[in-house]
Amino acid sequence: MTTQNHKNTMTRRQFLARSGALGALGLSLPALLAACGGSDTASGEESLYFDNWPLYIDPTEDGLTGTVDRFMAETGVMMRYEEGYNDNNEYFAKIQPLLGAGKTIEPDIIAPTFWMAGRLINLGWTEKLPKDLIPNFSNIEDVYVNPTWDPTGEYSMPWQGGTAGIAYNIDVTGREINSVADLFDPEFKGKIGMLTEMRDTIGLICLGLGIDPSQITSFEDAAPAFEKLAQAKADGQIRAFTGNDYTDDLVSGNFAACVGWSGDVLQLGKDSPNVRFVIPEEGGTSWCDTMILPKGVANANAAAKFMNFCYDPVQAALITQYVQYLSPVKGVRDELAKLDPELAENTLLFPDDATNARLRSFATLSEDVEARFDEEFSAITGA
Amino acid sequence: MTETVVRHNRIARNADRVGLGAMIVASVCLVALGTRWVSGPMVSVIVLVLILDLVGVLVLAARGGPEARRLLAPYGLLKPGMLWLALFFLAPVWSLIRISLSTKESRFSVNYDFNWAFENYSKAFSDFGAQFQRAFLYAAIATVLTIAIGYPLAYVIAFRGGKYKNILLGLVVIPFFTSYLIRTIAWSTILADRGIVVSAMNAVGLQTVLEWMHIMDNGKLLNTPAAVIGGLTYNFLPFMLLPIYVSLEKIDVNLVNAAGDLYSNASRAFRKIVVPLSIPGVFAGTLLTFIPAAGDFVNAQFLGNPNTTMIGNSIQDQFLKQNNYPVASAMSAVLMVSIATLVLLYTRIFGTEDLA
Amino acid sequence: MMRKRTKFGRIAINVVAGLGLLYLFAPIFFIIAFSFNKPNGNFNIAWQSFTFDNWLNPFAEKSLTSALWKSLEIAAISTLISTVLGSLIALALSRYAFKGSSSINLFLVLPLTTPEIVLGSSLATLFLGQNFIDFGMTTIIIAHIMFQVSFVALTVRARIRGFDWTLEQAAQDLGASPFRTFTKVTFPLILPGILAAGLLAFALSIDDFIITFFNSGSIQTFPLQIYGASRVRIPPQINVLASMILFLSVAILMTSTISGMRKSAEKQKNARKFNVLHRK
Repeated sequence: MTTQNHKNTMTRRQFLARSGALGALGLSLPALLAACGGSDTASGEESLYFDNWPLYIDPTEDGLTGTVDRFMAETGVMMRYEEGYNDNNEYFAKIQPLLGAGKTIEPDIIAPTFWMAGRLINLGWTEKLPKDLIPNFSNIEDVYVNPTWDPTGEYSMPWQGGTAGIAYNIDVTGREINSVADLFDPEFKGKIGMLTEMRDTIGLICLGLGIDPSQITSFEDAAPAFEKLAQAKADGQIRAFTGNDYTDDLVSGNFAACVGWSGDVLQLGKDSPNVRFVIPEEGGTSWCDTMILPKGVANANAAAKFMNFCYDPVQAALITQYVQYLSPVKGVRDELAKLDPELAENTLLFPDDATNARLRSFATLSEDVEARFDEEFSAITGA
Repeated sequence: MTETVVRHNRIARNADRVGLGAMIVASVCLVALGTRWVSGPMVSVIVLVLILDLVGVLVLAARGGPEARRLLAPYGLLKPGMLWLALFFLAPVWSLIRISLSTKESRFSVNYDFNWAFENYSKAFSDFGAQFQRAFLYAAIATVLTIAIGYPLAYVIAFRGGKYKNILLGLVVIPFFTSYLIRTIAWSTILADRGIVVSAMNAVGLQTVLEWMHIMDNGKLLNTPAAVIGGLTYNFLPFMLLPIYVSLEKIDVNLVNAAGDLYSNASRAFRKIVVPLSIPGVFAGTLLTFIPAAGDFVNAQFLGNPNTTMIGNSIQDQFLKQNNYPVASAMSAVLMVSIATLVLLYTRIFGTEDLA
Repeated sequence: MMRKRTKFGRIAINVVAGLGLLYLFAPIFFIIAFSFNKPNGNFNIAWQSFTFDNWLNPFAEKSLTSALWKSLEIAAISTLISTVLGSLIALALSRYAFKGSSSINLFLVLPLTTPEIVLGSSLATLFLGQNFIDFGMTTIIIAHIMFQVSFVALTVRARIRGFDWTLEQAAQDLGASPFRTFTKVTFPLILPGILAAGLLAFALSIDDFIITFFNSGSIQTFPLQIYGASRVRIPPQINVLASMILFLSVAILMTSTISGMRKSAEKQKNARKFNVLHRK
C-alpha cells in the first residue's frame, strides 16, 4: 500500500485540473458530478477501487514494482487498492444494509470467499462480468470453470485459492501428524486450535469421519462432525477458535496442532522450520477467494481490465511469488519457474494429482441450511 | 391592553414551565422522527411542530423580559445536548426495543415486521443463559479485583504522594494512553504458554497451587477464565482508581491524623474516617467498571476459550454473523435492563446521589 | 507493639501499591520492547531480534498511519462539539435551580449505564433505516459525541460544584455586562474543568472500539485497524505508533505537572509573603 498517498494526491490534482477545464468550458454541475463519480463515460481516465484481503497482492517494495502499479502504468487506470476486507461475515454485515436496500457500495471489486460469493450471487447483489473485455478468462484453471457457487460462471472470477489441512508445531507434538483423528488425541488436550472459518473446520472433521463435504445438502449430513466438535469443546480439547492469527499460536507453542491454511504455513516455514503443514490422509478442503462486481458497480470496464491483467500468467506468477497461495491461472507454474524455480516445485503451491484427488471443496448451501450451520457452529465457538 | 400585559406577564413568570415543556416536546419530536414512528405527511407536521417549538421559545426569551430570560436560561443551555441525546441515544434505544420485538421475512432481508415477537426474548434467555451468567460473574469478580488493586494504589497516592501526587497519578493513568486492543494483545503475549509469567510460575513451583485454585488449567494461563477476568480487571482499573482517588483526595489529612491520635490506632482511624468518606468513590467506580465489563467482548475474544465467552460475544455474533438483528436486539435489551436493575438496587443499598 | 503493627501495615500497603504499579506497567513494557523487535513472519508477538528499523520507519504502514490520522480527526471534531454541549449542560445543572433538574441528572447517567455494545448496536439500527447519512465519518462522529456528552457534563459539573456564583452577581453589580461577566469571570473559573473533561472525551474517542465497530462503514480508525490486523498480521509499527502516543502523553503530563508544581510553589510563596505583610 505504499502507493496509496501518492495516488490520492494524483487524483486530487487531476480532479482540480479536470474541474478547472470543465469550468472553463462552462459545463453544468451535473456533468461535473458525473466526472467526480469516476464513471467510464468521462473522457480520458478511468478509475477503479478494489477492496481486498490484507497481504494479498505483491506491493511495490525492495525495487520491485507491485501489480497495482504495473497495472496503472500499463492501462492508465487510476486504481485505489485497499485492504479493508478482513472478515467475510463482518464485511457482509457492512454492505448488507446498502445492497439490500438497493443502494450501491463504493468498491468496484470485492474479494469474498467462494461461499460468500455464492450468497451474494444468490441474493442478486452482484453484476455480470463483462467477459468480452476479459479475454484472459480462458486461462482459468479447469476446477474453477462453472463452480458450484457460480454455476453459470458469469459473476465471479477466483482471485487466489488454497487448501486447508492440519498445521502443527513438531516441537510440541513430538511426532508427525497425518490424520484428522490426531486433532482429537487427548495427549494434546487444550492445545488444539480450530478455525472460525466454519467450512474449513467442519469440512476437515467431516473428512475425518468419512463424510464428503462437497456432497452436503442438509444439516443432518454434517451433524456427526458438529457433535464431534461440540464434544471436543466440552472436553476442553480445543484451546481457541481463531482466524489467521493461529500462526502466532503455532509458532509460540500455544497450539500443538490446528486446522490451518497451506499458504500461511509456507510463509512461516522459512523462519520456523518446526511448523509444518499436512493434508491429512483422510483428505483436506480446498477454497478460493473470488473477485466480484457488486450490484450497481461504477467502473465495470476498468474492473474487467484489471481482472484481465491479473489472469495473464506472467502477472499472475508475480502475485503467486509474493502471496504463495494457489493460483487459479493456467500457466503460472511455467512462469514462476523462470522467477523462482524452487517455489515452482513446491507441492503446497502446486499439489500433485494424488493430493488433488484428496481435496474437497465445501458444498454451496441453501440459505436456510446455511443459517442452521452458522447458528450451530456459533453455539460451539461459544458465541 | 392591560389584559394582554397581564397574560404576557403570566407566561413570563411561568417561563420555566414553558422552557421545560418546549424541551420535552422537541425531544419527543426528534425521537418520533428518529425512530420513524411517523411517515408521509406527518413527517412535515412533526418538523413544523419542532420548528415552531424552537422559535416559540426564542420569541418568549426575546420579548419576555429579564425575569423570563433568567427562567429560560437553564433550558437554553441544556437544549443542544439534550436534543442530541434524544435523537442519538433515546431514539436508537427505542428502535432497538422495537426491532427486538420484530421478525424478518428472511435472514438477509433488511425489513422488519413489528409483531410483538416475544420469541426473540425467549431465545435470548434459553440459548444464551450461560453467556449472560458468565458476563455478570466475570464482571463482578473483575470489579472486586479492581477495588483490591485500585484502592491501595489510590490511597498511597492520595495520602503518601506528597508533592509527587500528580506525577504518581499520571503514572497510573499513562498505561491507558495506549490502545485498549494493543494492551489486550500484549497480555496474550505475556500469558502465553512459553511466556514470562508461566515460566516464572513454573520456576518457583507455583504452578500446582495455581492449578489447584483453578487459575491455571493444564499448564495454561492464556485462554482460561482467569485470563479473561484478568484482562477485564486490567482494562477497567482506571475507572475504579480515579473515582476512589478523587474521593480520598477530598479527605483532610489532618482529620485522619487527629483520628489516629483519638483512636490511637491507625487501622481504626482508617475504618472510621477514611472508608466512609471514600464510599462515594468506590460506588462510582463500581458502576463505571462493572457496566462496561459486563458488556465487553474483546477480552473474551483475545484471552478466552470457547467456554469463556460472554454475552457481548454473543450479541456481536448475532449482529454480524447470524444477521439476526431481532435476537441480537433482544439480548441487548435484556443486558441493558438487567444492568439498569442492578444499578438501581445497588443505588438503593449503597446510594449516593452522584456518579461522577 | 501498636507502633510496630502500624509500621507493618504501612509497608504492606506500599508493597501492594508497588505491585499494583508493576501490574499496570507490565503490558506497557512489552509494547515498548516489541517496538524494537524484528518479527519473523506476520505477527509481532514472539521475540526475535533487536532492531531500530521500526522506529526509523514509523509510518511505513500507510494504512495504519492513515487510520491513526482518521482517529485523531474524529477525536478532535467530536471532542470539540461534545465539550461545548456537555459544558452547557453542566453549567445549567450547577448554576441554576430549575424544574426537572433531578430527572435530567438521571437521564445524563443513562448513557453511562448502558453497555457500549448496546449503544453501538442500537445506534447502528437507527442509521440502518434512513436515507440521509451513509455509514462513515459522520456516523462515527455522531456516535462519539453521543457517549462523550454525558462524560463531559458530569465531569465539568463535578469540577464546578463548589463555585461561588455570587461572584457573577458582584461583577454585574460593578457594571459588567452579562457577556463580559461570562468571559471575564465565569469562563476562566470553569475553564480547568472544561479542559479536563475535554481531555477525557478525547481519550475516550481515540480509543473507542466497540461503538465505532458497529457504526464505521468502510472507515478504518486506529482501533479498528488494529482489530483487523490482529487477525491477519500485526506489524511492529503498531507498537511504534502506540509507544509514540505513550511518550507524547508522558511528555505532556510531565510539563504540565512541573509547571503546575512551579505555579503552586509560587502561590505558596506569595501567600507566605502576604501573610508576612499582613502580620506587620
